[in-house]
Amino acid sequence: MADLKLDQIRKSYGAVDVLHGIDLDVKDGEFVVFVGPSGCGKSTLLRIIAGLEDITGGDLMIGGDVVNTKSPRDRGIAMVFQSYALYPHMTVYKNMAFGLKLANHDKSAIDQRVREAARILQLDQLLDRRPSELSGGQRQRVAIGRAIVRQPKVFLFDEPLSNLDAALRVQTRIEIAKLHQELKSTIVYVTHDQVEAMTLADKIVVMNAGNVEQVGSPMQLYHHPQTRFVAGFIGSPAMNFTTVHIDAVEQGKVTVTVPGGAKAVLPFDVPANDVGKDVELGVRPEHLSLGENGDLSISGEVDVVEKLGDSTYLYLKLANGDRFTVRAPGHSRIKISETVNAAAEAGASHLFDANGKAYAKLECPAEYSADE
Amino acid sequence: MAHSGPMTDWRKAKLPVFAFLAPATIIYTLFMIYPLIDSIRLSFYTTPSGGEMAFVGFDNYRTILGDPDWSATFWNSFWNNMKFFAVHMLVQNPIGIALAGILSLPQLRFRNTYRTMMIMPTMLSVVIVGFIWQLILSPVWGVGVDILDIFGLKSLFGPWLGKEGSALITLSFISVWQWVGIPLMLIYAALLAIPDDLVDAAIVDGATHFEVFLHIKLPLVLPTVAMVSILTFVGNFNAFDLIYAVKGALAGPNFSTDIMGTLFYRTFFGYQLQLGDPSLGATVASLMFLIILAGVLFYLFAVQRRLARYQL
Amino acid sequence: MMTKNIRREDMSRAAIVHAILLTYTLVALYPIFLVIINAFKSRKGIFSAPMSLPNAETFSLEGFTKVLARSNFELFFFNSFTVTVVTIVIVLLLASMAAWALSEYKFPGNTWLALYLAVGIMVPIRLGSVSILNLIVELGLINTLTALILVYVAQGLPLAIFILTEFMHQIPKDLKEAARCDGVGEFKIFFAVILPLIRPAVATVAVFTMIPIWNDLWFPLILAPGDGKQTITLGIQQFIGQYVTDWNAVLASLSLAIIPILILYLIFSRQLIRGLTSGAVK
Repeated sequence: MADLKLDQIRKSYGAVDVLHGIDLDVKDGEFVVFVGPSGCGKSTLLRIIAGLEDITGGDLMIGGDVVNTKSPRDRGIAMVFQSYALYPHMTVYKNMAFGLKLANHDKSAIDQRVREAARILQLDQLLDRRPSELSGGQRQRVAIGRAIVRQPKVFLFDEPLSNLDAALRVQTRIEIAKLHQELKSTIVYVTHDQVEAMTLADKIVVMNAGNVEQVGSPMQLYHHPQTRFVAGFIGSPAMNFTTVHIDAVEQGKVTVTVPGGAKAVLPFDVPANDVGKDVELGVRPEHLSLGENGDLSISGEVDVVEKLGDSTYLYLKLANGDRFTVRAPGHSRIKISETVNAAAEAGASHLFDANGKAYAKLECPAEYSADE
Repeated sequence: MAHSGPMTDWRKAKLPVFAFLAPATIIYTLFMIYPLIDSIRLSFYTTPSGGEMAFVGFDNYRTILGDPDWSATFWNSFWNNMKFFAVHMLVQNPIGIALAGILSLPQLRFRNTYRTMMIMPTMLSVVIVGFIWQLILSPVWGVGVDILDIFGLKSLFGPWLGKEGSALITLSFISVWQWVGIPLMLIYAALLAIPDDLVDAAIVDGATHFEVFLHIKLPLVLPTVAMVSILTFVGNFNAFDLIYAVKGALAGPNFSTDIMGTLFYRTFFGYQLQLGDPSLGATVASLMFLIILAGVLFYLFAVQRRLARYQL
Repeated sequence: MMTKNIRREDMSRAAIVHAILLTYTLVALYPIFLVIINAFKSRKGIFSAPMSLPNAETFSLEGFTKVLARSNFELFFFNSFTVTVVTIVIVLLLASMAAWALSEYKFPGNTWLALYLAVGIMVPIRLGSVSILNLIVELGLINTLTALILVYVAQGLPLAIFILTEFMHQIPKDLKEAARCDGVGEFKIFFAVILPLIRPAVATVAVFTMIPIWNDLWFPLILAPGDGKQTITLGIQQFIGQYVTDWNAVLASLSLAIIPILILYLIFSRQLIRGLTSGAVK
């Protein structure tokens, strides 16, 4: 087991920069998830940690050693691939034993480790099968088993669940979480699915266009997104955004005009010279309620109604044309083309400047905070 | 990939199905299958000059395999052909596989240029290749000596094509030089079909690129290697052009480069004082057919069935 | 900064790999290169400095003038060209029609017919030469290009049908069904919908059909050895046999045979490899 440190890691292919100086600390035993849209560089970063791609600049340290030029086998890592990448001509047993054999471990030691991993993953009965005779979930477990037997310092997972169907994905997700508790190992996990990130991670790294947008615990990212990108990426359904106008700023308060003309006073630290500018207001659908009861009130015409049973999603069209999603109770009787009012507490709102940076929120009720 | 098989019932389109299949089937049958079968039939007949064709049973086979002169010639050409094949299997295919393996290494620069250049000799006519090497190896021109001299090996040079002991081996190597492109191309294509993830997984598992090739890539392309081997076998036992271009129909010196193809040609068309004999020619062709058939059946039943093709 | 992170073992490995590849490339190309450069030299140049490029002193086109004067080179070239092009067109048309019928229609004996047509991939047509010659004589086609074309079509069909059948299995059936629902006839589906779709495979099939035909010596020797019907390969073989001691002429004639093929190859090598790797051949 070991910690992992990334110091200004850069990667370019010819003239194209794909990673622009990534800094990150991963503590021993931590479960870190890289999440971001496809093409954001998260898989490249994982392959760099694995040693499958060269580093263009910066340093990579595993357990305190700089491993920039070390080959994958000398890094003490193991990787689980999206496609599982099981060797089709080998049995499950041989798939798991392959790396150990190459490292010249003796037969009995290999056998012991393979059987131990097979027991943990319930693969005991399948050791003589070939990958083509296994189901998707079983293949997934073999891929994980192949990583476990190497007893790596760091486990790397590259979108391991994306080839599974929805039901199996939830089940495997839980198994991976249990496995982490059992092995207490350092895990770096890449996914584009924010639900996987929220449920598995000790620490989430949100990436966008080759940069780290924010690093934090799932609840920190949910409640205190530092950028508009993170705010929009984490949470489902996604956070609502609309343009508001800054009217006045005073000691820890800002007064804005929301679409439709209503005013609201919000607890953000906004510099005085931003008065008169248009900025971006964000509120999560689950923090909005129907009616006028709130510090922030906004009205719109209902466009679409989605009934999910326990709750109903209303899609509003605001006065300026922006869309807002409101989570209403399941018994809501609101119909299309009705005009309704949605309200939220000031503490539930987020405010982003023209560059997408969040303004600091000064008062934050416990309900909307990650602090415990 | 699994095909679903033909989908449409032909009864809805009898005329089109017939019209699509008939031309190809007729030409193929008339100019390929019929001649092959008729050739076998002819091997049981004899055609005395000016006379009627007469059925002679296995007499032609008895002549070729039993008559001391004929059988010596036949077995000489057969064993020469086996040597010719052995050189291809031991030199051409390993070189082709190795080069394909190197060309499929990840992040290799100029990959396509190398490949295009290395396959070039394969595109040339065997006749042209024969002449090219005849010139280069000719002591008269001396360019072969000059090349060896660069490596300080001048003393090794000899009139290899002219000596009974070395002519066949030299010709085999010339043929290898030309045909390395075939295993190279086919195995390279098969290697490309292996997903990158498998290679990455093996590298992370601690394998060197050589170990990846040995333990992962090679086992997965074994069916292609087997196919290349049988193609080599069929091609070698059907070879003619190279020997004929360099050594003529007599496959000298002293028949030391005679293979089945040149024997067939001489028997059929005659040479010097001996007249050509279509019936004996057909007999040699039928024996070649049997040899090739034995090879193909061995491949289909003993080799191909044991090699599993893995879904990649 | 840039070099710091490149592994030393990677660099030395890359050096070894390129050394191997360059060496073999040299082995493959140098003999061809040698013949071509010497074709442009005087007799004296060929023997005094065989390995150097032609220079002002040694440059000479006498070999080419001799070849063009003494042999019917242009005619041989034209013969080869005619035979090859006509054969390719016929093979492509007949093979794609047959492949379409085999892959699309369910009829009794479908599998057996496919197997029957595949026999020719493994069994060389040369083995039937005795009967082919008889047949061509009976048809009165001896010493004609038609004889060569007929035989080459038969020779080219099995592999072409095999490759195209594999390829046609990959055509999405929605396309055909959409056409059928529109009431398009079976012939028209083939010519208007299917033929344009198989273009990528056609390039591969064309190359595989062309190379053995252009380079063949056996059938020109047996079926059309004279009367000005020689193909380029046979023409060169006869010419060199006759002028074996005239080095200028021999080298020039070889170059004339090599250069067109090399140019064609460089143009089509991409398609050839793409066809191979796209799974058209497995």
